[in-house]
Amino acid sequence: MIKKTFVTIVAIAAAGMAGADTLTDANEIVERANQAAYYAGADGRSEVRMIITDAQGRQQRRQFTVLRRDVKELADQQFLVVFSQPSDVRGTVFLVNKHIDRDDDRWLYLPGLDLVKRISAGDKRTSFVGAHFFYEDVSGRPHSDDEHELVETDDTFYVLRHTPKDPSNVEFEHYTTWIDKQSFLPMKIEYKNAAGDLYRRVEVLKTELIGGHPTVTTSRVSDLLTGGNTDMQFRFIQYDVGLPEQVFTERSLRSPPRDWLKRPAE
Amino acid sequence: MKHWPLLLLLPIVVFTHHAAAQEDPWADDDWGDDEWTDEDTGLTWSGFVEAGMGTRSTKDRLLDNRNSLEDLRWRVETEWQPDDFSVSLKVDGRYDGIENKWSLDIRDLTLAMSAGANTDLRLGRQVLTWGTGDLVFLNDLFPKDFVSFFSGRDDEYLKAPGNALRLTHYHDALNVDFVWTPAFEPDLYLTGERFSFFSPMTGGNVAPAPPLSAVEPDHSFSNGEFALRLFKTVKGTEYALYAYRGFFKQPGALTPALEPTFAPLGAYGASLRRTLGPGLFNTELSFYDSRDDRSGSDPLIPNSQFRFLLGYEWEAKPNFTVGLQYYLETTLDHDRLIANSPFPEFEPDEFRSLVTNRLTYRAGMDKFTYSLFSFWSPSDRDFYVRPQFTYRHSDSWSIALGGNLFGGDKADTFFSQLQDASNAYLRIRFQY
Repeated sequence: MIKKTFVTIVAIAAAGMAGADTLTDANEIVERANQAAYYAGADGRSEVRMIITDAQGRQQRRQFTVLRRDVKELADQQFLVVFSQPSDVRGTVFLVNKHIDRDDDRWLYLPGLDLVKRISAGDKRTSFVGAHFFYEDVSGRPHSDDEHELVETDDTFYVLRHTPKDPSNVEFEHYTTWIDKQSFLPMKIEYKNAAGDLYRRVEVLKTELIGGHPTVTTSRVSDLLTGGNTDMQFRFIQYDVGLPEQVFTERSLRSPPRDWLKRPAE
Repeated sequence: MKHWPLLLLLPIVVFTHHAAAQEDPWADDDWGDDEWTDEDTGLTWSGFVEAGMGTRSTKDRLLDNRNSLEDLRWRVETEWQPDDFSVSLKVDGRYDGIENKWSLDIRDLTLAMSAGANTDLRLGRQVLTWGTGDLVFLNDLFPKDFVSFFSGRDDEYLKAPGNALRLTHYHDALNVDFVWTPAFEPDLYLTGERFSFFSPMTGGNVAPAPPLSAVEPDHSFSNGEFALRLFKTVKGTEYALYAYRGFFKQPGALTPALEPTFAPLGAYGASLRRTLGPGLFNTELSFYDSRDDRSGSDPLIPNSQFRFLLGYEWEAKPNFTVGLQYYLETTLDHDRLIANSPFPEFEPDEFRSLVTNRLTYRAGMDKFTYSLFSFWSPSDRDFYVRPQFTYRHSDSWSIALGGNLFGGDKADTFFSQLQDASNAYLRIRFQY
């Protein structure tokens, strides 16, 4: 009996290890990575700091709180981004309703004018509030926008190459991701342009296990042509906090939901 | 110009804040774990110091000062957030060299709280905005400061604050926004102090001294302003209905003693905004009911109007956004207006059309913004062009360089009367 149990355990463990080692379908890997990077828990909150360094070494900073709610797993999501620093953007609020089957709805609240500004649907691969990160890096690029190909599997990473279905929409010719085989977090993404130059790199510098989810807590995007980079640091992260749908409405633009933005005790 | 030595104050203020900034955890390059800006450590004070200077391309022969902007401004902002409510303050201490005076402008002093789970209340002096137009306003009848706008102050100053109570109720079926302004808050209109304006009495521009001061309605409950918006977003399409009871915001009427004043107004409208193709589409309409001249025959009071707007904005290239709007203003009972007017040649056309174009290009990680906003009226044959370049050097320093260019064929149209106000300006701001 004992022997049989032991054999079963070994078999399960082996199957589990084998499972982790034998993913060969690029789309499945991309989906797992997407889940790990953007859909951990049913919702989440985090405070974020960015330090933006230009090619001359001059620095700017941004600080904001992000609230996220998944409307549907691996599909529609809602984001609320409330800026607290620097002082000229304090009180600025972004509201994003991300859709899989149509263009995202995005609003920006400018407190100086009490203006709820709608942002047009394009405008995704441009700087996010002056950082080297793009809007799309923050809310995720729909994986149906690219063709995915598994080019290499080593002990640590799945290496995938992604080619855009509509090259006119993007500035890259293709990009390559290194996806951690255990956590499925994309640990490095490198973008090449039509000239074949490597011009942009996004890399994870630090991860932590939070609420059972492997979570990126520091990442960096570098402009490899002109120099300069942005470090993004996440803290006070919580998952499954029970964010209601009402938090992601026009009300939160003018009156940010203080109870949900409040920093939790660590 | 005699007060420009005041600019010497700027480095002192800036230096003081630089020194203070050293204590700010954000000024520290070490992003160690304890360097996060704390919450709930009392009041956070912020703001900016700004110097602005603008001058005309040609002198206005009616005005002594060729400059259009001589501003030195110190903004102080804070917010106090106990558990159940918050109090916010935004105040500008300002020296205006054109008007040669110091002033303390409170842009925001409000108490905000929730009244029940789904209702927000905001009481006090505040800036209010709604509607879908881009620098074109139909159902937004909150006060605007056109003098600031034309002289090259930051866009924020186009919206003037008003003393009001705002109640917003959020409901699954419909959201309701109600604003009560107990004492009428007019636009900051052209007075002849900074810019001269067209007067039908003289058939040309005037710059009266003392400056024009229109007669405001007596204070009473029924002379207050009441603004209502019902709004809802369904699958990304924003719908809104509007109603307003108050007064025309510009002094376009005359009292029996022929002093400029504000005619009673009711306004009823609707708007829609949604994504369409690669961009954003908006449309808005409003019926302006001139409550004291519904027949349109009183020459002292503006006629009722129907206003209509169509707009589209899209990102034509990465970082390059294009916006287009078409606006039509129809004056009702126009025949009667002309028949009864002492100055029929200076009355508005029955149909006043306006086309606007906004071009925005951002470069260098949004450090540089080039923008061009143009108004062009095919019916009035006049225009207003606003080029602006802004450079955000750092989180502290930024500059804005721009112009306000007016022109037209006739002396009496809205933009054409400002021909001698065409100006270029430079603003330098230190943010703390």
